[in-house]
Amino acid sequence: MINGNRKTSYLEDEQILNNNYKKAFVALMVALAIALPIFANDYIILMASLVGIMLIAVVGVNVLVGYTGLLSLGHAGFVAIGAYAVSIIHGLLTGWGIPDILQPWIALPGAMAAAALIGIVVGLPSLRVKGIYLAVATLSANFIIIFFIEIDTFAQWTGGRLGLTTPDPNFFGWVLDTQREVYVLIAIFSFATILMVQNLFRTRVGRAFIAIREKDYSAEILGVSLLKYKLTSFAISAACCGLAGAMWAYFYAKILPEQFELALSLQLVAALIVGGMGRTMGPVFGVILIVLVPEILKITMGAIGGGSIEAAQLRAPIQEIVFGSLIIGFVLFEPLGISHIMDRFFRALNRWPFARG
Amino acid sequence: MQFVQFLINGLMSGAIYALIAIGIVAVYKSTRVVNFAHGYMIMIGAYLYYTFAVLFPELSWAPSWLSGWAPEWVIDGKNNAKMFSPEAAFYDWIPDIPRIIFGLIFAIIGSGIIALFIERFLMRPLLGQSNFSMIMVTVGLISVLSGFKSLFWTGDAASVPHLTPNPAFRLDFFGTPIFIFGANLMSMIIAAIIFGYIVYWLRKSSAGVAIRAVSEDQSTAYSMGINVPRVFAQAWLIAAATGAIAGAVLAARDGVSPSLGLFGFSVLAIVLMGGLDSFVGVFIAAMLVGVLEALVQWQLGGTWVEIAPYVAVLVVIIIKPHGLLGSPEVERI
Repeated sequence: MINGNRKTSYLEDEQILNNNYKKAFVALMVALAIALPIFANDYIILMASLVGIMLIAVVGVNVLVGYTGLLSLGHAGFVAIGAYAVSIIHGLLTGWGIPDILQPWIALPGAMAAAALIGIVVGLPSLRVKGIYLAVATLSANFIIIFFIEIDTFAQWTGGRLGLTTPDPNFFGWVLDTQREVYVLIAIFSFATILMVQNLFRTRVGRAFIAIREKDYSAEILGVSLLKYKLTSFAISAACCGLAGAMWAYFYAKILPEQFELALSLQLVAALIVGGMGRTMGPVFGVILIVLVPEILKITMGAIGGGSIEAAQLRAPIQEIVFGSLIIGFVLFEPLGISHIMDRFFRALNRWPFARG
Repeated sequence: MQFVQFLINGLMSGAIYALIAIGIVAVYKSTRVVNFAHGYMIMIGAYLYYTFAVLFPELSWAPSWLSGWAPEWVIDGKNNAKMFSPEAAFYDWIPDIPRIIFGLIFAIIGSGIIALFIERFLMRPLLGQSNFSMIMVTVGLISVLSGFKSLFWTGDAASVPHLTPNPAFRLDFFGTPIFIFGANLMSMIIAAIIFGYIVYWLRKSSAGVAIRAVSEDQSTAYSMGINVPRVFAQAWLIAAATGAIAGAVLAARDGVSPSLGLFGFSVLAIVLMGGLDSFVGVFIAAMLVGVLEALVQWQLGGTWVEIAPYVAVLVVIIIKPHGLLGSPEVERI
């Protein structure tokens, strides 16, 4: 959104929503998010919550992949850490007799801290390797995390392969035991995460991340400590994913280790690529597309094939193929993602009728 | 002395890892693309082998010699051979030869067509683009390939004929019995031969020299008159052919199932451990991981096997970032 940004004071320039399109979009989104729990049916609430959970995680991935330029294919592992940590901490606190009303205030930061800690450990190889090597290192980390959740040694805490029943959080005496109530929590946290990450990149730390993305050696020469900032980036990114995991645990009644395997990692990165890396709105567009396309496919295939069993069997493979094609198509034809398409659209809108594109 | 048994098992599975790794290294050496989807290409190869070696001969209009070729002397030999002896296994194997060859040929052709398609339409447009784009295209391929797999084939695990006779040998090693299955031994030999031949071919043949030249410097190779796109196609074909053979071997050992795709990720870990551009390093790493897995299975139990390659690659990457024998990337600031 390059045009339409005339500024007459520094104060205006420092605003987060620095033009009318952004203001309108955010106002619309807020209005939609507020309206949903009042008017929408359960299916729409489910979809909106999925979008919200994924959004928190993808914003986290964006910090690492989009802004710091470190490719990770293992972020589902951090989501898993968050989901399991929040459930386990709730269990422990109940065991110690701490009242329900205090528990989320300990469990949520605890889950984020656990994910951030594991994130720092996983990020250690990033100090020596990058690109493909880092992708495989994080992928390995994902496999290892899921493995430790599944093995029998820790099964008394993690529930092993059978999964874990998750708690209902109690905020200010209000027990969030339906999906509609948890949706409100998810919506609040999604907005907060986007806002905080957007703000992060107006600070010294965020700018250091961007410097590392552009060229890590040059950044080091300029005095950016690679050790400190790469690990910080991993920690922030993992903490966001941990928060997403915590929301996941609150939202569903049960979590299973296989939900957090490679497929989820790929989905997170795919959403980021489709939306646009290193852009605030990238994750938003990407997640909406990645979550809604399978649903649209489901509805259209249901309309074409009726309720037949054959059509139902074809659905999962076709969803997979479309998902893969989305990644390939965007990388080949629009590497900057939907954000860039929107940019061009708004630019054309601003200049209309004089010039296009 | 159970150790020896597990060591031998490890070497045998290490050889299959090496066979799969050829595909990843060959493609990386010539095109600088790390193929995350190689495991899924192997899976497709295995399913093609299953289709043409098991499903096709069962069709009513397929020639009868395809499903079981049994001339007189085979039946005689089988009747005369002792039960469970190597001869009996050999005569058991002979009727399967036509369908094995038929299946293998079509698996290689099918995978080859897919590989050429991927190279031409997905990889070549990305020539000169960042590493990230190439990785993400192969990551997208994972979904596409596994989606097509479930579109054409059901997800059930099925068994396929072994490529070679499968007698069980029982050896005495200083008083401890050691069991070796003929098919595993033969697949180790097949893998070693193919691996050795490809390394030799890369060193000596003119096409191999072209591949090495391209891996050194693409644009210089171009200006020296090397047909770079053809080299790319060749590398992908090598990957497809070795992948199809590895898929058939794996399918015979473990059964055809979607989990073959995940196998590719442990091989990717092995390749990084050995060094992306070094065949010798990858061979060493494959053997090491094979043995490591066998030892882990011996000492810690079967569940720990699945993460052994990943832990190994993490340790190696932290100590030697470019693998055991890989050459470090030189970067311009």
